Amino acid sequence: MSLEIQNLHVRIEEREILHGVDLKVEKGQTHALMGPNGSGKSTLANTIMGNPNYEVTEGRIVFNGEDMTEADPEDRAQAGLFLAFQYPATVPGVSVANFLRLAVNSRREQPMKVKDFGKMLREQVDLLKIDPSFVSRYLNEGFSGGEKKRAEILQLAMLKPQIAVLDETDSGLDIDALRVVSDGVNALSGPDMGSLIITHYTRILNYVRPDFVHIMLDGRVVREGGAELADELEDKGYDFVRAEVEAAAHAS
Amino acid sequence: MPPSATTTTAWLDDRRAEALAAYEAAPVPTWRRSGFWTTSLRKLALDALETRRYEPSDELPAVLADALGDDEYGALVVQRGASTVHVEVSPELAEHGVIVSSLERAAQEHPELVQEAYMRRLSHAEGKFAAAAAAFWTGGAFVHVPKDVRLDKPIQTAYVIDEGGVAQYAHTLAVVGEHAECSIREYCLGTPIEGQALHAGAFELYAGAGSNVKLAHFHDWGPGEVYDISTKRVEVARDAHVGWVPVHLGGRLIKQQLDLITAEPGSDMRHTGLYFTEGDEHLDLFTTDKHEAGHTTGDTVWKGALTGDSRASYEGLIHIVPNAQESHTYLQTHQMLLSQKAKGDAIPSLIVETDSVSASHGGTVGELDEEQIFYMTSRGIPRSEAVRVLVEGYFEEVVQRLEDPGLEALVRQRIAQKLLAAQDQVNEFIGERA
Repeated sequence: MSLEIQNLHVRIEEREILHGVDLKVEKGQTHALMGPNGSGKSTLANTIMGNPNYEVTEGRIVFNGEDMTEADPEDRAQAGLFLAFQYPATVPGVSVANFLRLAVNSRREQPMKVKDFGKMLREQVDLLKIDPSFVSRYLNEGFSGGEKKRAEILQLAMLKPQIAVLDETDSGLDIDALRVVSDGVNALSGPDMGSLIITHYTRILNYVRPDFVHIMLDGRVVREGGAELADELEDKGYDFVRAEVEAAAHAS
Repeated sequence: MPPSATTTTAWLDDRRAEALAAYEAAPVPTWRRSGFWTTSLRKLALDALETRRYEPSDELPAVLADALGDDEYGALVVQRGASTVHVEVSPELAEHGVIVSSLERAAQEHPELVQEAYMRRLSHAEGKFAAAAAAFWTGGAFVHVPKDVRLDKPIQTAYVIDEGGVAQYAHTLAVVGEHAECSIREYCLGTPIEGQALHAGAFELYAGAGSNVKLAHFHDWGPGEVYDISTKRVEVARDAHVGWVPVHLGGRLIKQQLDLITAEPGSDMRHTGLYFTEGDEHLDLFTTDKHEAGHTTGDTVWKGALTGDSRASYEGLIHIVPNAQESHTYLQTHQMLLSQKAKGDAIPSLIVETDSVSASHGGTVGELDEEQIFYMTSRGIPRSEAVRVLVEGYFEEVVQRLEDPGLEALVRQRIAQKLLAAQDQVNEFIGERA
């Protein structure tokens, strides 16, 4: 069970953003993808999920051995991929609970019984320490930044994907919200789920310890390593990595 | 067409005669606005239509029975074609002195009450069809809720057209006394008729000082060729509140003016409408939020969606007259295009003739948000279902303002049916844009 990104080139309108990205996330692993603003992290996240605004010009996205490069987002989701959005859309008139019921039922032959769904929702709400009244609000309408991220984690918990991509789920969160989010990710991580945590900062990695760290610059993965790479980045910053990469390019 | 022979009230005969003269003098109108919009009646063969009489019946017309469902109600007046065919008033209402009857009958039995309010805010000088309604109406509906009476169950009036070739001239007059509270629902319903039909209607509601009125208009003339040219006007007196929800879900050509007048200090209104056009339908709505006194408040929200080749135009005017300082009002209008060939516009406008007021408006005309669709599909929800849920969600804010579970369910059901009928073209339209 794995998500494999092979030599991925992606453009938006006429501009190429990703210039050949390779990455492999297996079930049970936690990966961190780090990089400064504009390095292409969100482009990668959106392309993995099949956002129609992003065009793959070369390379492949392979999920569990199946080429998903051209698949519709709903097929990717039903196959077990999940993206926690950095800026989730507002869905007026549709409550969190109703939205979740639609999403959960979309991957089942028979819709879940209302009672069973209610029980499952209550369990996850308790687990994530979310106020129960939250689920009757319209999804993301009038939500604070922290509430939006909680809603994303609640969806993650309900949908139980094989591979979850979290796009800057830590950004803009205060320490309490960050803890809720990282507790949630830790609770859900395990042998049944792999995750790719996309982040600008090393802060969340104090709570969710990655097995692998990838650093992205200008649309390419330029450094890879274990958790110690995040620590190095914390000390030295992205400019150091950039200088290193440029020096290597000159040397060759 | 002669006025109803049963009307013996001289003052009303005079009013009808004046209206008839106005009708004969007025040309068949064409409504034009800057831009592409024109509402024309050139396809309506007006002379081929006739007023048609029907016998009273204990049984409700099927289309109305379906719409009413099992909800309990306090009173019901039904007009089919030109005739009042069914009147029910619960004993409870009668005990409270509430009058609900045809307007024809009320003009005879309660001439003072009718004369005092009749067309106080309407005029036969507002165009050919306003004059026609004033001259030719038969049947009609009269609602009178006395001072201080509070009613739980709604009062319902209904106009039904279930045969082609019919011209229906309608008039509803509702008077709610001081500090009274009630809910009034009016249904305008049609069946899949052959040929053309016309509904030329007038509706007037006077909400007395301190009263609280919930008003709903449910229009669904069905897929037949029904033309509806009507004026509806609501006056809100001192410290009264009216919440009005007009819903338009079908009709070949609808031209309506809907006006809410906050007339005295403390008047407050909430006006929430929706429309969903399909096929060859043409809808032209003009609403006014008129503040005639200071310290009045208003809140208007209209939402529409268009499929097929339909045309829909909504124009909403906020008008604050001189000396109506400290009025506060807001108008927003949204329109969603769901097919390539549908065309519409939504125009908020403002006339403010005084200072110290807050009046603002906003409007959007757009398509479904691709970002929202991606968000939903990324959760595994199929694209077509995502579209359906987004459109239903878009209308939900308005539907909930009906504050009436039975009517809410009916509106939701009709929205879902319309979406289902248009599913292929909506998917094609949305798909093409992706």
